[in-house]
Amino acid sequence: MDGMSASAAGAEIRSDIPSVDVENVSVRFGAIKALSEVSFTVEPGTIHAIIGPNGAGKSTMFNVLSGVYKAAEGQVRFGDSRLDQMRPYQIAGIGVARAFQNIALSGGQTVAENLMLGRHHLTKAGFIAAGLRLPRATREGKIHGERVAEIAEFLELGDKLHTPVGVLSYGDQKRVEVARALCTEPRLLLLDEPVAGMNAEETDRMAEAILEIRSALGISVVLVEHDMGMVMSLADRVTVLDFGRRIADGTPAEVQVHPEVIRAYLGSGDEINPAEAAEAAATGHHSSETPGTHS
Amino acid sequence: MSEATATPRGSTRIGAPAGGRSAAPRRSFLRPLILVVLLVVLLALPIYVEEFWLRTGFAVFGAIVGAIGLNLLVGTTGQLSLAHAFFLACGAVTYVFVSGDSGGIGLADLSGLGLPPLVGMIAGVLVAGLAGLLFSPIAARLRGIYLGVASLGLVFIGQHVLNSWTSVTGGFNGRSAPEFSLFGFTFGNRDPELFVVGVPFREAERLWYLGLVLAFLAYLFARNLLRSRPGRALQTLRDSEVAASVMGVNVQRYKARVFLVSSMYAGLSGVMYALSIGSIAPESFGLELSILFLAMIVLGGLGSVGGAAAGAVFVSALPLVFQRYADVVPFVGGAGEGGLAPGEAARYFFGLAIILVVMFEPAGLAGFAGRFRRKGRDPGGGRPTSSSSAATDSSTTSVPSDRPAQGSTS
Ligand SMILES: Nc1ncnc2c1ncn2[C@@H]1O[C@H](COP(=O)(O)OP(=O)(O)OP(=O)(O)O)[C@@H](O)[C@H]1O
Ligand SMILES: [Mg+2]
Repeated sequence: MDGMSASAAGAEIRSDIPSVDVENVSVRFGAIKALSEVSFTVEPGTIHAIIGPNGAGKSTMFNVLSGVYKAAEGQVRFGDSRLDQMRPYQIAGIGVARAFQNIALSGGQTVAENLMLGRHHLTKAGFIAAGLRLPRATREGKIHGERVAEIAEFLELGDKLHTPVGVLSYGDQKRVEVARALCTEPRLLLLDEPVAGMNAEETDRMAEAILEIRSALGISVVLVEHDMGMVMSLADRVTVLDFGRRIADGTPAEVQVHPEVIRAYLGSGDEINPAEAAEAAATGHHSSETPGTHS
Repeated sequence: MSEATATPRGSTRIGAPAGGRSAAPRRSFLRPLILVVLLVVLLALPIYVEEFWLRTGFAVFGAIVGAIGLNLLVGTTGQLSLAHAFFLACGAVTYVFVSGDSGGIGLADLSGLGLPPLVGMIAGVLVAGLAGLLFSPIAARLRGIYLGVASLGLVFIGQHVLNSWTSVTGGFNGRSAPEFSLFGFTFGNRDPELFVVGVPFREAERLWYLGLVLAFLAYLFARNLLRSRPGRALQTLRDSEVAASVMGVNVQRYKARVFLVSSMYAGLSGVMYALSIGSIAPESFGLELSILFLAMIVLGGLGSVGGAAAGAVFVSALPLVFQRYADVVPFVGGAGEGGLAPGEAARYFFGLAIILVVMFEPAGLAGFAGRFRRKGRDPGGGRPTSSSSAATDSSTTSVPSDRPAQGSTS
């Protein structure tokens, strides 16, 4: 299965996937400047990583992209839409989906119910249709339930559809987060540390799933991740943030040797050393599958 | 996990929707069976039990409707409201005004439209809904406890109106409620005389069936709602408004809608309350009534429709039962005797019950039932009740730190 990353080359080109243009975005929280004039472009159909030490502003960037925070300055464009001027539910409506860094699922609801929420903007049933179980509401639920089951299967959650999310393992819950975002049939997928807290094997499989999402659906993926090996092997392009500023932007190979990046990571002390990351990228171990480890 | 890796994942799997397995929940047979048995028993009851229990039953059915409505707002959506009594009053007053007759009784000069009681009932629901709609812009912008405080104001406004708008409400002394009738069939003692297997079906028996039907419909509507798109949106926004909005839910609109639905439930409950007591009076619709409704849903289990119904049975029937059996129940005395008044005794009892529930079974009566049902069943095999969700949610769902301070979405 060495061809995993090669399959990216064969990704279908979709004309309905525009680029994301972030221009000079700043966000302030009182005295803290969480983002200062950050710019970058996510090209259609690419996997774009945003990395940086803790508190660099990565999740804040996601909050701007999904409309949760308003940027004090700057613009965010997604095709013809100005994301910085839209409400979160409107942004979801044009095909931007997000998996949260810290799981934001409804613990008491089943996996299926959590995933069905992803279909919210694709479905119509209102209070009256649902309360009276009008045929169109029932039909709609059934059709979308099938698609939800498929996506759950894809993320290895097929046998857990009717389990309450609260009792699942952390890794499973992370997968539900990603699956729920996928269930919105996004054109732009924002993944905030999708493998945080997962073991090596789960991480490999998630990396593989992300590659497949991109190659099968042709959508753009923005990935925030601390796992350098994963970033280097998955990303087409990397934007590096530090203290809310963009300190580098380029291909994985470029940012890896960027002096500012090395300084930022060495300075913070808690990150993996770039040489190790380079090695991971070269061997591509995060995208390979090791047969025999699965019983 | 093993079979998932064994199957090749490709574009067909995730790329294009294809039929097959569905995420529709598996339903157990036990639940509908219990429901059917319960219904049959409830339908047969008027043949066997005496009037006191039937009258209590109608009051309970009314409370069930109100509790289910409040539970949609508080339990499912996490929006606290203390204004439930106000919306009950809207329904009750509208009913007596629309279906009552004009005329002077004593000092008060009452006006009424004298329309058929069914029209009055529907108008009661609609007027309560209208009041809810007018307040819903506020409900949409406030969250949890803040809404609770804001809604408190409505109770006081309601009290003022009830006391001063004498021609409609009867003022301080209140006003009697017209008997219900449906296309010429009255829910009174006569007109027509009715016997079923030799048992006379009088007012109490007839009202029992009316209450049963209304409560059952209210229950079904809420159940259906919670199991579908709007219900999922409401439950998610309770757990995290940010997550809900990022997933495409228009949070403000949903908060406004559920407030409207909840007030309409309260309106119907108010009409039933008026029919049950036979009259309305301002003091019936004070803050205490709102609190009793909150007690019902907390005891029953926040977020569970069945739980709300169970809580309503408990809270609304207990004072009546205490009253009737004042001489048997310890510490409770009848009027003029020593000991606690029945209503007071019931209140102490609720207080104790609420403390116990919060300490030992936060999912309330519904959680209790769920625990009982899960015994002897494979874990995760059955579909968990929405009730157990209400309790586990707050504890199992971590509050995301990558989620902004509350309210920044609006
Ligand atoms: N709602 C908020 N109020 C105040 N400060 C905030 C808020 N959200 C984020 N910040 C601050 O903004 C800065 C960037 O935070 P952010 O969560 O974006 O970092 P991050 O890059 O995602 O870090 P991590 O890798 O730990 O997830 C931090 O200093 C954080 O404390
Ligand atoms: Mg973060």
